Amino acid sequence: MAEEKKEFWRWKEYNWHDETKDWKSAETITAGVDVGSVSSQAVIMLDGELYAYSNMRTGSDSPDSSRKAMDWALEGTGLTLEGIHFIVGTGYGRVNVPFANRAITEIACHARGGNMMYGNTVRTILDMGGQDCKAILCDERGKVSNFLMNDKCAAGTGRGMEVFADLLAVPIEDVGELSLDVEEEPPPVSSTCVVFAKSEATSLLRDGWSKKRVLAAYCLAMASRVVGLLERIGVQKDFAITGGIAKNTGVVTRLERELGLKALQSKYDTQIAGALGAALFAKALVEKKRKQAV
Amino acid sequence: MFSKFYEWYEKRHDYARDWLSKNDGEVVGCFCSYAPEELIYAAGCLPMRVLGSHEPQDVTEPHIFGMFCPFCRDVLAQGLKGRYDYMKGIMIAQSCIHLRQSFTSWRNHVPVDYSFYLYMPNKVQTEHARSYYAGELVKFRDSLQKWRGREITDDALRETAELYNENRRLMHEVYDLRKQPNPPISGREAMVMVASSFFVDKKDHNAELKRILPELKSRTPDRECGARLMIVGSENDDTEFIKMVESVGATVVVDDHCTGSRYFWNSTQFNGDIMQDIANRYIDRPPCPTKDWERRDRFPHVLKLAQEFNVDGVITIQQKFCDPHEGDMVPLKEYLNSNDFPTLFLEFDVTVPLGPMRIRVEAFLEIVGEEELF
Repeated sequence: MAEEKKEFWRWKEYNWHDETKDWKSAETITAGVDVGSVSSQAVIMLDGELYAYSNMRTGSDSPDSSRKAMDWALEGTGLTLEGIHFIVGTGYGRVNVPFANRAITEIACHARGGNMMYGNTVRTILDMGGQDCKAILCDERGKVSNFLMNDKCAAGTGRGMEVFADLLAVPIEDVGELSLDVEEEPPPVSSTCVVFAKSEATSLLRDGWSKKRVLAAYCLAMASRVVGLLERIGVQKDFAITGGIAKNTGVVTRLERELGLKALQSKYDTQIAGALGAALFAKALVEKKRKQAV
Repeated sequence: MFSKFYEWYEKRHDYARDWLSKNDGEVVGCFCSYAPEELIYAAGCLPMRVLGSHEPQDVTEPHIFGMFCPFCRDVLAQGLKGRYDYMKGIMIAQSCIHLRQSFTSWRNHVPVDYSFYLYMPNKVQTEHARSYYAGELVKFRDSLQKWRGREITDDALRETAELYNENRRLMHEVYDLRKQPNPPISGREAMVMVASSFFVDKKDHNAELKRILPELKSRTPDRECGARLMIVGSENDDTEFIKMVESVGATVVVDDHCTGSRYFWNSTQFNGDIMQDIANRYIDRPPCPTKDWERRDRFPHVLKLAQEFNVDGVITIQQKFCDPHEGDMVPLKEYLNSNDFPTLFLEFDVTVPLGPMRIRVEAFLEIVGEEELF
């Protein structure tokens, strides 16, 4: 009998809202919607505090993905889209959020979101996203002062990690832990191209490498590639990581080791950084608008 | 207002064919903006710089290694595809090794009656360059005379140099308008204006410039200026890219490209010996990085432009694998940053993927401005 086809790359989608908060008593309700290349998030804030969010896979249609993410974040809150005072769209689909009042780049939003998530001492934010990777320098307000993005290939990004999870039939959430369970660190695989890395991994498996060892080699390749990006821009303390890969301890541990620097930890979900920053910008914009109206 | 320039830019081959039907001369393809066009023009020919088409192509692989810049491959592709089948002559003023490869491959694989490799010195910073280059120009003049069977007189050269100077002066006038708080001309229009001047008879170009200038001076811009940007770097006539930049809250107000200001910034000074005068003009030009060694004269020139045109930020552009500009990029960035001009580095290919470029440009504009977000 054929083995059941599992999608090992498929990470869990979820939504959440803070039941201890009542949106009816909030003066300013804002939202940020981050339509990324792989995942979409919607964040709702009450007076600058996190109230609700959702995290799901981006579909082929950006407006549709933004609507779904928003609806899911609103689910169970009794709040409706009309009740939100200002919405900022971000991410690669930022101009395709039909209900947004404004679009701002995810680079600015990750810096602003990271500033709230990790505190105002953070100066370097590494956003490890679905299909690209950004090294961002920012000031104490979370305003970007410089940035660098990876070019050309998804190697070193979430999508690359998904490809590896599927290839090795390892649930993506387990990749990090498993990759650390090796006696000796193997040399990294190719870090310039996901397809090359994948064919290299296939031949390593054929040579008798364990799955864990191959995962270790890929996580190391990803970490080395990103360190190159960070070194080009010049890492300043404090350092933090946002995006999905921040949840992969296999990459983060190796990254910290290569960099000789620990990344800050946060109580917030690292994947909502962009949408969180967008919602914070929405708050600043709506407040300015109100002041101007007076 | 700029429709004629757009027409010339987009239908450059139609213009050239039409010119050939009306004139007893030939079209001479020029590789590199250092080509001393005055000599070609004075020989009764139409000098025409060969630029790419910004279309993906697959015809240059057997001739140019993939790690040569996309511009030089795009240029050669035009020849291999027969787009310049009316062009009987080609010449290069010694340039970077990438473009030299396009020239030699063209000479080998595209039928032409005449070709000339002009030894434009790379070491323009030595005084010997002046006399050396004037000597090389004499060789070029002799060669052109032999090919065309007609004399290129000093008077004809002087007259042509004056015509070219007039073109430079008129384009300067247009550029000066870009210093205004809300310039009446977009960066895209300026780009097409200069690029079209590579293709058409300077008499036609001058006439059109004279026609639009009064109108342009009283033109009310129909758009906000936004952030004032400068673009600097490799060959760049990517009109789609600049259109995108100017659609997200910015105006390109000045440039330092061989397809822009560098082409026309200085004029021929007349001191008696016309060949030496023309040589001096090219030696003294705002330099390309291939010729800007070991002193970097280009950097203070770029800074002066940034200051005079009051720019908020500079986009530094490098054609992928463009070695000369690659060498300049890091020190140029440091130099501009230390003079309080923020920079954004972008790498160009034959076709520029606008989505990934757009996010970089927008994020840069958010760095340059957007204080309202905080």
